[in-house]
Amino acid sequence: MALEVQPPSDRKRVKVYELRDNDWFDRGTGFCTGQILDDEPRIFVESEDEPNRVLLETKISKDDGYQKQQETLIVWTEPNGTDMALSFQEAEGCAVIWDFVNNVQQHLLSLAPGDALSDEIESYQSIMLPAPELGNLPEIDHIMRTSSITQAGRDALSKLVIRDEYIPKLIPLVSMAEDLESLPDLHRLCNIMKSLILLNDNTIIETVVTDPVILGVVGALEYDPEFPTHKANHRHYLADQTRYKEVVPIKDPLIRRKIRYTWRLQYLKDVVLARILDDPTFSVLNSLIFFNQVEIVNHIQSNAQFLKELFTVFDPRNADNKRKEDAVQFLHQCAVIAKNLQAPARANLFANFINHGLFAVIAFAIKHPKPPLRTTGIDLLVSLLDHDQIMMRGYMLKAVSEKKTPLTDTLIDLLHTETDLGVKNQLADAIKVLLDPQIPMPDAMARAGPEHFNKPRSNIFSDTFVQNHFDESARRLFWPLKRLENSDNLNDLTFQDVTLYSHLVDILTFFVRQHLYRSRNVIHDESLAPRVAQLLTVPQKHLKLTALKFFRTLISLQDTFYQAMMTRNNTFGLILDIVYQSMPRDNLLNSACLELFEYIKRENIKPIVLHLVEKYGEQIKNITYVDTFQTLYLRYEQLQGYGAEEADSTLYSQEEELPDQRMQANGSRWQGVKEMDAAEEEYFNTSDDEEEWQQDPQQNTAISAHPQNGAASPVVKPLVDYPDDDDEDDAMDTKAEDQTQPKQESPSQDDPSRDTTMDSSEEAPSTPVSLTIQTPPERLSEKRRREEEDDDELMKLTTGPKRRSSVNAGSGSAGLLRRKRSVSIGSLSSNEKGSTLGNTTTSAAPKRIAINLGSATVKPTDTAVDKTSNEKENRDDNHDSQGG
Amino acid sequence: MSDLDRAIAQLRACRLIPESQVRELCYKARELLIEEGNVVCVDAPVTICGDIHGQFHDLMELFRVGGDVPDTNYLFMGDFVDRGFYSLESFLLLLCLKVRYPDRITLIRGNHESRQITTVYGFYDECIRKYGSANVWRYCCEVFDYLALGALVLGASSGLEPTGPALETTSSTMSLDDSELETEVLNSRGEVTMSSYRPKQPRTDSPLLPSLSQDKSATSSTTQTPASSMPPLRSGWAGTGATGDSSGSYATGTGAVLCVHGGLSPLIDSVDKIRLIDRKQEVPHEGAMCDLLWSDPDEIDGWGLSPRGAGFLFGGDIVKHFNYKNDLSLIARAHQLVMEGYKEMFDGGIVTVWSAPNYCYRCGNVASILELGEDASNGGTVARSNGEYGRSNGGAAGAAAVTRSPGRRYRVFEAAAQDTRGMPAKKPVADYFL
Repeated sequence: MALEVQPPSDRKRVKVYELRDNDWFDRGTGFCTGQILDDEPRIFVESEDEPNRVLLETKISKDDGYQKQQETLIVWTEPNGTDMALSFQEAEGCAVIWDFVNNVQQHLLSLAPGDALSDEIESYQSIMLPAPELGNLPEIDHIMRTSSITQAGRDALSKLVIRDEYIPKLIPLVSMAEDLESLPDLHRLCNIMKSLILLNDNTIIETVVTDPVILGVVGALEYDPEFPTHKANHRHYLADQTRYKEVVPIKDPLIRRKIRYTWRLQYLKDVVLARILDDPTFSVLNSLIFFNQVEIVNHIQSNAQFLKELFTVFDPRNADNKRKEDAVQFLHQCAVIAKNLQAPARANLFANFINHGLFAVIAFAIKHPKPPLRTTGIDLLVSLLDHDQIMMRGYMLKAVSEKKTPLTDTLIDLLHTETDLGVKNQLADAIKVLLDPQIPMPDAMARAGPEHFNKPRSNIFSDTFVQNHFDESARRLFWPLKRLENSDNLNDLTFQDVTLYSHLVDILTFFVRQHLYRSRNVIHDESLAPRVAQLLTVPQKHLKLTALKFFRTLISLQDTFYQAMMTRNNTFGLILDIVYQSMPRDNLLNSACLELFEYIKRENIKPIVLHLVEKYGEQIKNITYVDTFQTLYLRYEQLQGYGAEEADSTLYSQEEELPDQRMQANGSRWQGVKEMDAAEEEYFNTSDDEEEWQQDPQQNTAISAHPQNGAASPVVKPLVDYPDDDDEDDAMDTKAEDQTQPKQESPSQDDPSRDTTMDSSEEAPSTPVSLTIQTPPERLSEKRRREEEDDDELMKLTTGPKRRSSVNAGSGSAGLLRRKRSVSIGSLSSNEKGSTLGNTTTSAAPKRIAINLGSATVKPTDTAVDKTSNEKENRDDNHDSQGG
Repeated sequence: MSDLDRAIAQLRACRLIPESQVRELCYKARELLIEEGNVVCVDAPVTICGDIHGQFHDLMELFRVGGDVPDTNYLFMGDFVDRGFYSLESFLLLLCLKVRYPDRITLIRGNHESRQITTVYGFYDECIRKYGSANVWRYCCEVFDYLALGALVLGASSGLEPTGPALETTSSTMSLDDSELETEVLNSRGEVTMSSYRPKQPRTDSPLLPSLSQDKSATSSTTQTPASSMPPLRSGWAGTGATGDSSGSYATGTGAVLCVHGGLSPLIDSVDKIRLIDRKQEVPHEGAMCDLLWSDPDEIDGWGLSPRGAGFLFGGDIVKHFNYKNDLSLIARAHQLVMEGYKEMFDGGIVTVWSAPNYCYRCGNVASILELGEDASNGGTVARSNGEYGRSNGGAAGAAAVTRSPGRRYRVFEAAAQDTRGMPAKKPVADYFL
């Protein structure tokens, strides 16, 4: 049988490696050719130094696992079990030999018996598994390993294993090998099971968790050759029937089985396979689990009898407390699963639960004496809020209008008295969401599930009603804060007090940021701001910080009402006191204060600047360790109409870096802002829609230049170039404008649906690369903001702006995160190429190599091999780059 | 503080402490961290560590290689949690150590120390799994908000502003050392003050290269060889620029090393600007704080968009300029997996230190820690560690101690031996209803 494959004629320079004792042994450098001798295709390598010495002669056989790694590496296993590698100097040479090997193998395969059939059948038949006996394990292991390398091989192997019901046949071998105490066999079995699961075939994985098989499979997986001295306990865990708790018996045997299988799948995913799972298998496991859960939940909620029984557990006449607790846990688990369901299914489930009396269950749980159960109860509540807070508020308002005690009142009372800090935390979060009356109705419509039409909606209540309820609840909520008015001494607050106050101030901050008007009444009528200001003087620094954050938020709103409030009271005096107290030290509190004043300076908030200098001039003048306060002073002088020249000279002496034309430009520009102030303020008062601010590309610089605090603050007034910006920045700004950078940005702005990845990769080259150092590409941040707008509305609703800055954007960028993951595990940025290559190899190769070794020698560990092989490869890279 | 010591002992054995203790610990840590600046000043000697990612047993290995906590000063550059199966044990242990020995250990924030990231990459799930509720996760996240954003390592006897005399002291110190040492000191010096030491650099390399390639045990250093041979070539180019300025005020060198998790930010042109951040917040999605935790160095000019979707890429010119302007000799950062455990870039202006060996239990990489000796920043004293450099250079330290140059010694280590760590696995759920 003649081979028509044409061997490559010219010689390729190559290094030959052999794996010896875990180490890639360098056999020497030579020239590689493909030849056909006696009708047998071979690879030859002749030594470079001694042309007659043959470094390598190997016959290409049809089923050996040749692998091309990176651009210049071919790796395979010799028939005698030795791992070999050829490292080519040039990618081109590697490609030529690789093509040759491929052609030969294809040719050989086509010559194999029964070749007339389709590809699928062909590869199918090329795999034969020997009878499942202990003696055949090495061969089975080997076949599985080699055929797992190609997709065709994997498909063929999966089919074969399923058709022959091979897995159940392997199971008896486990106990046999255990009886014989044959560790090598057990290790092989473990490898075989791993290979089978990593074939990533739904049917195989479903088979694995069935009753007759599961214990054998995990039994084999207990003997991991990578941990030769260890044995896991999987069987013990899975065989334990008592782990399954049944509050109300589920009668359908199919569902019962599904529940069991799902549990096993989770165990496989989280425990048995956690270390070795690759991404495809991980997602197959996840989707199997998901579909099972959908079925289970559907069964439960459509089973009225079951639900009735479940909720009667909570009947007050029922004295079985343990059972009640279990039922709460059960519902909680349902809610956790529901999080993954699609919105309509989830809505159905919750609606069903609510109709059966879920609120009563929550009320039972959050008043339970055991903190863990309270936690669970609030978790339940929070998952409802996460699902649909409008619905929840609807229920709450309905209760109010019916003169029943609304849930909020219960929660507020609990918050005031709760001693478990974890629960308190959750309570505060829940209250935030429930009392947040900013209801963006269009969003709700967009998200509306089937329950949308028949559930009470908040819009059936008049705005006055909502406002009244808010005021009342808020009064109730902030009462402890108001009580502070009469206490002069805040030095002996208890730990519980401190926690409560910081939660309250945090909630208040949230309200203020979330909606401009709703909370004003309360803040004004109850004069809460002075109370928060009192907290600036407490000895507990974190409480100080929380109070500081409240005022920082007020400032960022640039609202005349709040500004007046702050300037009327001695708020800034207290903040300056903190600066003075913490001044010599560089600490968090100090930084937070500095940031606040930096913001005022940057945004040039006129009333505050005037107030600050006029009232605290001396104090401000004396703070010189940062230039923030000096600049504030300057701002003041400018506001008073002192000439820009004067300001220039002063500033000049302090900030040597400032080129003076910047200063003048700034001075004149600043006048512009002054004129706009009133109009803008009006605008801010009427709208908190961030999106509109994105329209003006001019503002991008400023937006992304100062976003780190209160990234959520809706008002970024970016029209000014600031003298405190350093010169490079300024140079850059001009530069960017020269390059009409804003224009470049507009396409991506106009098309929010475009993926950020695409954006970044496409636009990266257009990043203005200039010699001036600080040229940040601005688009990305801007892009992210856009994404926030398109975000999952739910997230937006559940989280306040403070958290929105992160959480919301986070949800919007779930894609980003996922991308990030791939970046940091798999590929790295281009400068990491060397290691990336090594890394990609490891993610592909080591599994096989590890298995390899498992069958060859027991001792070696994959870590060592991985490392050495990587190093070797990296070194080769270096050789290549040096040579080339 | 016997309670704390008991907690430490328990955590060292990879056993969790009760929820109430976690809460107490987190509150104590908060009190401590609130006093730290956004950039913590740390005196050399200190050992700088990169990502840990919940690989508890490898963290133990790290302590074994680098010395135990009160004996060695540590600086961890974030990413304590996520991905590995023991995020809780790792982070809580580090936090305990921080509370117990506040001056001996410094923790700064990584991009994974954030609520949103931990909910995706495992820490949140781990907390739920191990404590049954998200409370512990909440406490930890609260602590994350207080963690410093960076650290500045200063030489033991040099202040922020280095002076001429200090330089002279260094030279005299060098002349006292043996030749091999001198070479390496020069190498490090050369990178700090290019103009003053550039002429000596050719000498720097010739002894260094062979010594590295001879070091058979540390194969990874061979990989670094091309990189380390680069500096003279390129610093010649950069030095040209520096020479112009060298008559000015910047002729002095200092050993200050800036440590951040990710890298630089276009909004931060000086270390002092970091001070003006109110760091007590969730890691934002943009802005200076985000960039410090998310950016990566890259072989580009200027700034580039990051494929991570947060932070930026920054090139060698940015690093050079930043280091020059802030009198830094080095930026140490983590954030990126490096197969060799560490990687210097841009003429040694920045180094990535990675301390999670066999990352995710399958990447096959080695890890490293970076030891900065007391004399790293023209301290003017011959540090105790100098002798050790000589020893480890002799190749006797087969374990894999690689010496690049005095002032920075990288200790490369592998994943903990299997028998010490058992099988890494997640904890299964106790009971189930569905």
